[in-house]
Amino acid sequence: MKTAAPVKLENVTKRFGKDVTAVDNVNLDVKAGSLLTLLGPSGCGKTTILRMIAGLERATEGKIFIDSNDVTKLPANLRDVTMVFQSYALFPHMNVFGNVAYGLEVARRPKDQIIKEVDEALAMVGLEGLGERATNALSGGQQQRVALARALVMHPQVLLFDEPLSNLDAKLRKYVREEIRELQQSLGITTVYVTHDQEEALAISDVIVVVNKGKIEQIGSPFELYTQPANKFVADFIGSASFLKAKYDGEILSLADYKIPFKQDIRAGEVIAMIRPEAVILSDDGLSVKVKTAAYLGSMTDFSFESAVGEVIANITGEGFMDIKKGDDLHLQFKTAGIHLLEK
Amino acid sequence: MTDSLRQNRISNAWMAAAMSAIAFLLLPFGRPNRAFLEIDNALRPWNLDPSLSWLVWLVLLAAVSAIVISFLPINTVLKGNLLGLSGLLGLLAGVIWLVSTKTPFGMGALISMILLINVIGYGLSESGRIQSDAFVASSIIFVSLFIILFILYPLYTVLINAIIVDGKFTLTKAIKVLTGQRFIYINNPYTERNEAMLIGISSLIGGLAVAGYSIYNKLKVNKIVIFALIGAAIGFVVGFSAFARGALPTSIGLAAIVATTVTLLGLFLAILGQRTRFGIIKKSLASISLLPIITPPFVLAFAMIFLFGRQGMVTREIFGLRTNELFGLIGVAGAQILAFTPIAYLVIRGSVASLDPALEEASVTLGAGRWTTFRTITWPLLRPALANAFLLTLIESFADFGNPLILGGDRFYLSTEVFSAYSARFDQNEAAVLGLVLLVIVLSIFFAQRRWLGGDSFVTVTGKPSSGKFVELPRAFEGFLIIIFTIWTVLVLSLYGSIIYGSFVKIWGINNTLTLQNYKDFMNQGWPVFLYTAKVAAISAVPAALLGFLIAYLVVRQKFWGRNFVELGSMLSFAIPGTVMGIAYILAFNNGPWLLTSSMVILVLAFIFRNMPVAIRGGIAGLAQIDPSLEEASTTLRASSSTTLRRILVPLLIVPLIGGLIFAFVRAMTAISQVIFLISSGNKLATTLLLGWVEQGQLGRASAMATIMIFSMLAVISLLMLLTRGRGSRGIG
Ligand SMILES: Nc1ncnc2c1ncn2[C@@H]1O[C@H](COP(=O)(O)OP(=O)(O)OP(=O)(O)O)[C@@H](O)[C@H]1O
Ligand SMILES: [Mg+2]
Repeated sequence: MKTAAPVKLENVTKRFGKDVTAVDNVNLDVKAGSLLTLLGPSGCGKTTILRMIAGLERATEGKIFIDSNDVTKLPANLRDVTMVFQSYALFPHMNVFGNVAYGLEVARRPKDQIIKEVDEALAMVGLEGLGERATNALSGGQQQRVALARALVMHPQVLLFDEPLSNLDAKLRKYVREEIRELQQSLGITTVYVTHDQEEALAISDVIVVVNKGKIEQIGSPFELYTQPANKFVADFIGSASFLKAKYDGEILSLADYKIPFKQDIRAGEVIAMIRPEAVILSDDGLSVKVKTAAYLGSMTDFSFESAVGEVIANITGEGFMDIKKGDDLHLQFKTAGIHLLEK
Repeated sequence: MTDSLRQNRISNAWMAAAMSAIAFLLLPFGRPNRAFLEIDNALRPWNLDPSLSWLVWLVLLAAVSAIVISFLPINTVLKGNLLGLSGLLGLLAGVIWLVSTKTPFGMGALISMILLINVIGYGLSESGRIQSDAFVASSIIFVSLFIILFILYPLYTVLINAIIVDGKFTLTKAIKVLTGQRFIYINNPYTERNEAMLIGISSLIGGLAVAGYSIYNKLKVNKIVIFALIGAAIGFVVGFSAFARGALPTSIGLAAIVATTVTLLGLFLAILGQRTRFGIIKKSLASISLLPIITPPFVLAFAMIFLFGRQGMVTREIFGLRTNELFGLIGVAGAQILAFTPIAYLVIRGSVASLDPALEEASVTLGAGRWTTFRTITWPLLRPALANAFLLTLIESFADFGNPLILGGDRFYLSTEVFSAYSARFDQNEAAVLGLVLLVIVLSIFFAQRRWLGGDSFVTVTGKPSSGKFVELPRAFEGFLIIIFTIWTVLVLSLYGSIIYGSFVKIWGINNTLTLQNYKDFMNQGWPVFLYTAKVAAISAVPAALLGFLIAYLVVRQKFWGRNFVELGSMLSFAIPGTVMGIAYILAFNNGPWLLTSSMVILVLAFIFRNMPVAIRGGIAGLAQIDPSLEEASTTLRASSSTTLRRILVPLLIVPLIGGLIFAFVRAMTAISQVIFLISSGNKLATTLLLGWVEQGQLGRASAMATIMIFSMLAVISLLMLLTRGRGSRGIG
C-alpha cells in the first residue's frame, strides 16, 4: 500500500487564450491524507485547478508538486492521480467490471489480481455482484459508485472529485457524501474535492478553500470559515449573514444605540459587523428594528428586519412568533458567538 | 515514490531509437534504379556515393545518441530537449542527403526516419513542449509531414513547373500559354461578328441594367456605382463565356450554367422532398441521391451517347435525327447537371427541413404578402445553403474531367487541357500553368466559401428528422415540381437503364441483338483490372480511414501549435481538382528523392490523400457525440493516448470508422481525374480502362464494366447501410 502524498500548488496561474484568466496566482497545500474542498461560485476556476492537478490542463505559470516531485509538465497518464468526473464518464461499451478493471488492465496486472481487486473495490462502494451489469442499467447513485470504485481501485496517491454529487437527488447526496468521507478517511487518501454547495463542503472537509474569480479568498477549517470569514464574500458564500454598519473601540461594539462588549483583534473605528442569522434573539431592548418580512418554516421562522445600520436577517426557532407582522417595531440582541467583525 | 514520478527515469525513446539504428544498418537507405522492396548490398549506407555520405552517418549517430540520452541520469525536461534535438538533426541530415543527392529513398531511410520522428515525439512530450504523450506528439509531426509532402509539396512543384522552364526562371511560357488560342480566343477572324465588341456590349448592358434598377430603388450614389460595377462584371462573364472561345471562357461559362441550374433543381427537389404529400417521392429522392456516389463520374456521359448521340435512342429512333449536337457545351452541361443535382439537393435539404412553416405563417398573419414573406423570411434562411450549393457545384464543374473528355466535342476545357497538355503535347510546363489557373480559380471559390459560409464545406448527410406537420404546397407549384422531378427521374433512370441494356446488345443502335459477348470481353480484358482496382482501393481505404480519424482526433481533441494548418491542409485535398492533383503528383514524384511513379504505391497514396477528408468529416462528427471526459477518465487511469484511442474511441466510433472505410473504398473505385495521370502499363485502373473503351467506341464492353461496377458499389453501400442501421443509435456519453 502506498502512503498518501501531499499536493502543493505554487503561484499557479492558468490562462485560456490571452484574455481569460481562469486561475490567478493560486497557492495551495494539501496535507497527506486530508480532504480539501475547493468551494466557489460557477466559473470561478475550481474545475480548472482540479484539472491542473490531474494533468488534464497545463499550468500557464507556477509549479505543481505531488509528493514533493515537480509534476507541472508531467502528462496526466504518468501521474498517480485519479478523478471522479461530474458526468461519471463511465465507458458505455463496457460493463461495470470492465469499467473498474480498465486502469488495472492498462497497467497489465495479472488477470486473477484484477478480478480480486475489482471485487474488493466494488465491495468497498457497496456494489458486490453487480460486475456484469451494463452501466446504463444502473441508477444514478450506482453509476456514481462505479466511477468511485474505478478511481479507488488504482490506489492513487491523490483522488480528485469534480462535483461528484451534482447529478443525484438531495437525499442521496447527503448519504453518498458521508460514504465518500468515510472511505476517504479509512483509506487515508489525499483528496481534493470540488463543489459549489457550501453545506456539502462544510460537512466533509478537513480544509475548505474559497475561490472567487480565479483567486483564493480564504483557506481554513469549516469552523474557521464559518465563524471567522475573512471578508464579506466568504461570509456570504458560507452560510448567510447580515452585514451591519458598526463602530468598534477595542472593547465595545456599537450598532447605533445598541452596545455589546466584544473582543476581536481588529483595527478600532468603523467596521462591518457580520451577524449570523441564528445569533439573533428577540428582546425587550437592543437594536431597534422594524419587521420587513416574516416567513414561518415550521421548525423556525425566517425574518428580515430594517434597522438604522442595515438589513438584519434572522432564523428564530421556537414558538410564539406567530403574531409578529410586517411593520411591527421590535428590539434585537445578538449572541457574541455569531458576530464577526470585518474591515470596512 | 512511484516509477512514473521519478525524475531521472529512463525514456522509452531508446526503443524507437534502437529500431531506427537497426533499420538503418539492415535496410537499403537509397534505391537508385532499384525497386522499393529490393535489398541489395550496393545500397547499404557504407556503399553510397561518398561525397555526402557523412550526412547519412548522421542519421545513425542521431539514433545512437538518442539511445544514450535515454539512459542519462538527467532531468526529464533536459532529456526531452536533447532527444528532440538529436531526432531532428538525424531527420534533417537524412532529408538533406536524399534531396541533395537526388537519390530515391529506400526502405531503410523510410523506416529509420519514421522512428526518428517517434524519437522527436518522445522529446517534445517529455520536455513538456507538447501537453500530451509521445504518441500524440509523433502523430502531429507525422500528419504535418504527410500534408507537406503529399499535398503541399506537389502543389508547389506545379507552381515551380509553371515558372521554371528548363531550369531557368521565366514567365514567357506562362504568358504564351495564357494568351494562346486554346486558352482564350476572343476575336475569331472567321466569324463575321466582332466578339470583343459583343463582350463589351454585354458588360455595358449588365452595368446599365443594374445601375438603372438601383437608381429606380433610390439607392445611394456609392452603392449605385458598386452595383453597376458588379453588374458589368456579371455582364462581362456572360459575354465572355458566350462569345469567346478557349478553355477559360468555356469552363467559366459551363460552371456558371451548371451551378445555376443545379442549385435551382436542388432547391426544387429539396422543397418537393420536404413538403410533398406523396411518400413515394420522398423515398425515391433518398435513393436517387445516392446514385452519384456509386457511379464513376462520367458514366452518365456515355449513357447520354446511347440516348442522344448519333445512334441515340431518343435523337434517332424518336426524332429521326442524326446529330452531333450532344458533343459540346450542351452535352457536358447536361451530364454535369444530372451528376451534380443530388449534391446540391443534399446541401439544400437540411436548410429546407429547418425552415419552420410557423415563421411563414406568422409573417402572413402579420399582413405580409407572399412575396414579402418570401423575401424577408424564407430567402434569408435559405440563402447560405443555396450559396453553398452554388459554390460547391462551381468547384465540381471546374474540376470535372470525365464528362468534358467524353462529350467535350470541339471545345476546350481547363481540366481536360491540363491532361492533354501533359499526355498529348508532352509539355509539362504548359500543364503546370493550366493546372495553376484551375487551382487558383477553385481555391478562390473554396476560400470565399469558407469565409462567407463558415466553411462547413462538404456534404454531410445528417438525416435530421423532419418535425411533424408542414404546410402543404400550393397545388400548382407542387404540380410544377412533380413534373420537374418526373423528368429528372425518367432521364436518370433511362440513362442507367440504357447502360444495362447497352451491355447486352451487340452494337448499340446498329445491331440490337441480345448477346453476352460484352461480358465475355469484359471478363477477358477488364476483370483482372477490375480486381486490381479493388485491391488498390481496399489497400488505400484502410490508411485513408485511419489517417482521417487520427487527424479528426488531433484537430478536435488536442491543442497544439499548427492545428489550423493540419485541418486546412488536410481538407484542401478535397477541394483541389483531381486533374491538378494528378499533374502535381506526376511532377513531384516522377524522379528525385521521392520517386514513386509507375508503382502501385503512388496510386495508393493518391487515393489515401484524396479520400481521407471523408473520414476526417466522419471522425469530427462522431467525436462531437462523445463526451471528452470519457477520454480524460481513461487518461487519469494511466492509459496513454494510443491506448485510449484503441480501447475507448475506436469501439465507440466503429460505425463512422467503417463508414469512412467504405466511402474511401467506393470513391477510390470510381475516381478518375487524378489517377489518369498516374497509371502505367502494369497499373491500369478500372475507370481509366472504362474511359479508354468509351473513347475507342467499345461501348458494349464499357457498359458491361459500368454495370458491374454500379452493382458492386451498390452492394458495398447497402452493406454499410445495413451496418449503420444495426448499430446506429447507442447511448454514448
Ligand atoms: N477550455 C477553456 N477555454 C476557455 N475558457 C475556459 C476553458 N475552460 C474553462 N474556461 C473558463 O475558465 C473559467 C473557470 O472555469 P472552470 O470550469 O474552472 O469553472 P468552475 O469553477 O469549475 O465552474 P462550475 O462550477 O460552473 O463548474 C470560466 O470562466 C470558464 O469559462
Ligand atoms: Mg466545474
